[in-house]
Amino acid sequence: MNIPGEISNTEPSLPLSGYRALDLAGPMGVYCGKLMADMGADVIKVEPPGGDPMRDVGPFIGGQPGPGRSLYWLHFNTNKRSITLDISTPEGAATLRKLALASDVLLETGPPGYMDSLGPGYGGLGYESLAAESPELVYASITPFGQTGPYRDYKASDLVGFAMGGYMYVTGWPDAPPNKLWGSQAYHTASNRAYIAILLALYHRMMTGQGQYIDVSMHEAVAATTEHVNTTYNYTGESAVRCGFRHGGQFVATWRCKDGYASITTNTRAAWDDLRAWMERDGMAGDLMDAQYNDHFVLRGEHSAHIEELVQAWALLHTRQEITEFGQSNHHPWGPAATADEILGNEQLWGRGYFTEVVSPDGPSLVYPGDPYRLSEFPLPVRRAAPAPGEDNVEVLSGILGLSAADVERLSV
Amino acid sequence: MDLNCEAHQNGLALRGIRVLDFTWIHAGPSATRILSDQGAEVIKVESNNALSVIGGPASATARGLGQRHNWNAGKLSISLNMKTAQGIDIAKRLAALSDVVAENFSGRVMLSWGLDYDSIRAINPSIIMLSMSGFGRTGPWRDRVSYGQTLQAWSGFTQLTGFPDTDPSGPASAYSDAVGGMAGAQAVLLALMHRARTGRGQWLDVSQFESLSSLLETLVLDMSVNGADAVSTRTGNRPPHGGGAPHGAYRCRGEDRWVAITVFTDEEWDALVELMGNPQWADDPRFATAQGRERNADALDALVESWTIEHAAEELMGRLQAKGVAAGVVQTGEDLSRDPQLKERGFFRRVPDHQGEHRTIESAPYKLSRTPGSVTRGAPAFAADMTYVLRELLGMPDEEVEDCAIAGAFD
Repeated sequence: MNIPGEISNTEPSLPLSGYRALDLAGPMGVYCGKLMADMGADVIKVEPPGGDPMRDVGPFIGGQPGPGRSLYWLHFNTNKRSITLDISTPEGAATLRKLALASDVLLETGPPGYMDSLGPGYGGLGYESLAAESPELVYASITPFGQTGPYRDYKASDLVGFAMGGYMYVTGWPDAPPNKLWGSQAYHTASNRAYIAILLALYHRMMTGQGQYIDVSMHEAVAATTEHVNTTYNYTGESAVRCGFRHGGQFVATWRCKDGYASITTNTRAAWDDLRAWMERDGMAGDLMDAQYNDHFVLRGEHSAHIEELVQAWALLHTRQEITEFGQSNHHPWGPAATADEILGNEQLWGRGYFTEVVSPDGPSLVYPGDPYRLSEFPLPVRRAAPAPGEDNVEVLSGILGLSAADVERLSV
Repeated sequence: MDLNCEAHQNGLALRGIRVLDFTWIHAGPSATRILSDQGAEVIKVESNNALSVIGGPASATARGLGQRHNWNAGKLSISLNMKTAQGIDIAKRLAALSDVVAENFSGRVMLSWGLDYDSIRAINPSIIMLSMSGFGRTGPWRDRVSYGQTLQAWSGFTQLTGFPDTDPSGPASAYSDAVGGMAGAQAVLLALMHRARTGRGQWLDVSQFESLSSLLETLVLDMSVNGADAVSTRTGNRPPHGGGAPHGAYRCRGEDRWVAITVFTDEEWDALVELMGNPQWADDPRFATAQGRERNADALDALVESWTIEHAAEELMGRLQAKGVAAGVVQTGEDLSRDPQLKERGFFRRVPDHQGEHRTIESAPYKLSRTPGSVTRGAPAFAADMTYVLRELLGMPDEEVEDCAIAGAFD
């Protein structure tokens, strides 16, 4: 085991360097593994022989599936190592157990009970069994509904997690079906929460030497991320409803404008006054200059339909850029709804070194997004592209476990 | 800054860590609530001048009160008027006694108080400073201002969320604040680990725009390599890059009731067909394979809904789950409050506020076996902890406290 507080006298080159994590996660936890790997942990992705099914998830380079072409795989597995191992065989499970005992963190997303069932006769891969030999191990399980409770054996996709967590019912337009956020945000929320828990556990381990078990529920992770769904019901007795891009009919709203959509937040009296004065200059303010509308939270109130009608009609006169420039130059949080192709050219993201362009002499050049934050002590470019299946079999299985070349060959093909 | 082992034996990973917390509204307070749940002593620095902001001590609405408690449970509160020299001086003395200083003001504010990272580091060399902002404190947009929805718009989430044939809806709430809060807490925890290894603190310049952009998955990679052919439009409730049908929210019996159903494999499809009572339309060769179902998803959705509309969402969830099909009620706030799973796991907690009234808050959505964490009270009343902070922590004599009060330092 490798407890940096005790043994490391060398300068850590990255926030999590010195830690080894075994990544047995599917889509619900793949982002958690990436967060650990990008921050410097030695994350070993364990794939079945032939490769992980996530290698077949699109989009693909050139739109064509094939080895090394899944952008999903390339994105979520940066800086990880890969081994292939058939863990359904007793010997494969026994090897995985040895690797787990040589790791600091184990991350898995199997159904409750699955890890205990692996490798009968070899001690299994559940927490209790591993912790008996390695009490320092931090073992994190992400499941749809957690390890306990009446729904523990329920299945969930990203969509179902988003629905059950209460975020979906409020997202969308009142007269249309509820909708989910773009992407797999329920999965990533579970991953983000699991990562927090892992860091708390690692810090605790630095202080005490003790590992622990972490039980993360996607259902709860989403429920704790909605901002207003629970507080609205628990404190008003009313369920929040869908409001499209009006965000609860509040002072925060998005509007259709001349060339797309723009977000116009009137969070202060000054912002509201600047907005209606601009409307007035355009001859579109109607009666909004009246004193009865002076309250900057007025959109919440009884006049919301009237105000929205006037603001929407006016917003169509202006472009996203005009609205953004006017708002920002007056210190109001106004901005454009960017389209996907505009993200890639974003000057602020490039300006802060968020993107990493990896130029390949014989393949396409790729622009990788960065991590959610940088630490001033560490620069964090993408250091290594996602691995090929079993790329690190020899290094890991011989290097860490001391297996012979013949054993590696037998176990991983 | 007590890093001894004993403090860590009692179920709190961050006991002994003190956070001087200038954050307000949503993202910042939700980051420090994560730390407070694990035993960090979080001292909120509040001001009479900002009582009624979202999550502020005088949040005017019932929902605002809920947000106040949900994001600030377990913290302490002091009032400091940072327009006075005494207020600033007290803040500096507290920074000297803290492990972490957290703030989410615009870029000029902490500097104007002499509480920017370099100044604090001069009085507390191992300080960890968390600065959360919309766009980060460097780069051409460092002075731009944003709310959660501004960042959602700018990052593309607004435009990408919704059905292809209608206006985008964007996320219903401030996803970017929740994401920023999680990122802020992660960055602090990484910095605490680094400090434990090296003794050094650092500055954490968290751009919520970057935190949110990191959840755009393959979007940037896709645009960079596939250009105009990249999938970059709204796909409603279907995964942007395919993978399964039916995959959506289906209307159920009752008013605005919906069940989310996702089918990926033939086995799941067969189970669904059986539950639907083997309707004749399910034999349509268009639906015989996963690819066929995906290609004909619009037609399939309408047919599936002709079945779901006859049933209660809860009933369908139970029956589908019993057959191994991922399905769930599209739950409302009321549904969540009664959710038997959340109840069994203690997700909602009732904690007393300063007047002894019980308030409902959310728990951390993870369970750590050794350090389960603990939250035993709601958000503090405004300036509730002046005595503890001024007398016990800073050891200020009566006369000095009085002088500061006369100078308006606590207004």
